[in-house]
Amino acid sequence: MHELSMADAIVKTVIEAAEKNDAIEVLEVTIEVGQMTLLNPEQIKFMVGVLSEDTILEGAKFHMEEVPIEIDCECGYKGKIGADDLDHYTPVLNCPECDERNFDIIAGRECNVKNIKIEKRDEDA
Amino acid sequence: MHKIAEVEIQHDIMVANRKLAKKNQKILDKSNVFAVDVLGAIGSGKTSLIENLIQKLDYPVAVIAGDVISKFDAGRFEKYNVPVVGLNTGKECHLDAHLVEHAFHDMPLDEVDVLFIENVGNLICPVDFDLGAHMRMVVISVSEGDDTVEKHPLIFKEADLVVINKVDIADAVGADQDKMVADVLKLNPDVQVIKTSLKTGKGFKEIINALEKARNE
Repeated sequence: MHELSMADAIVKTVIEAAEKNDAIEVLEVTIEVGQMTLLNPEQIKFMVGVLSEDTILEGAKFHMEEVPIEIDCECGYKGKIGADDLDHYTPVLNCPECDERNFDIIAGRECNVKNIKIEKRDEDA
Repeated sequence: MHKIAEVEIQHDIMVANRKLAKKNQKILDKSNVFAVDVLGAIGSGKTSLIENLIQKLDYPVAVIAGDVISKFDAGRFEKYNVPVVGLNTGKECHLDAHLVEHAFHDMPLDEVDVLFIENVGNLICPVDFDLGAHMRMVVISVSEGDDTVEKHPLIFKEADLVVINKVDIADAVGADQDKMVADVLKLNPDVQVIKTSLKTGKGFKEIINALEKARNE
């Protein structure tokens, strides 16, 4: 259940950024989760909700964006690798161009807190 | 008056762990310590394997023993008079680079040649968390079923050495040990797979040789 440690790190990251920007409330949070991670976005969403209770994050809307796997293959192919229906079987995939596995994964392993939408006092008002 | 603002964060939690892992490896390299992350399911034989290695290796060994709760495994290693740090993960199912770095503070790294980091018994969660070790050794046993590799591909894809343990009871539990080896090689063609039995001593020398080879690379 490492979604819990992820959720905890997400909540801490968001609160830190929100406080730095003088937020009085966090309205929305966007998180990118790579297809290659063994994370379940729905579980993260649930746990972030629980951990947000009694913080300025409580009630915020969480958007989970799935990041497709992208590879940089020795054969020269650089781009996405179709793994939509394969879930955790993604590591058995081969390069769509040369059918080998001599590639670096350049996207799809992230759990990225992308941005937040906050409400803050308008100093100029 | 209040206003709404968008704030870019771009903080990748995974990258944060990988950065800490790199820092860990630097600490280890500075002290000339070769570290092995020992992964595998509950009951695969990780602790027994490390106990055997402690007794057979003729250079200074230390262990970081990860457990969800209790210091049970740490207690088993302490009997061999080697430096041991027990790490409790509490509610978590894996060690992470941050926890391991904490353990370094209680470890006489300058007096150690090889450090075994026994991860929490789990074939899924630890995959996402690099600890900064030089080698990932995955230990599975035939008693977990000969479809274990197919069911948990990613951990085998990321392994540097795979140990298929308890082969002495393969027939008794109806497991096809050669299928398990073939499944690993399908996922990770270059990895070394060693069939072992801690009871009969089968494969043990090969593990020591594999560690020795990786250490000198």
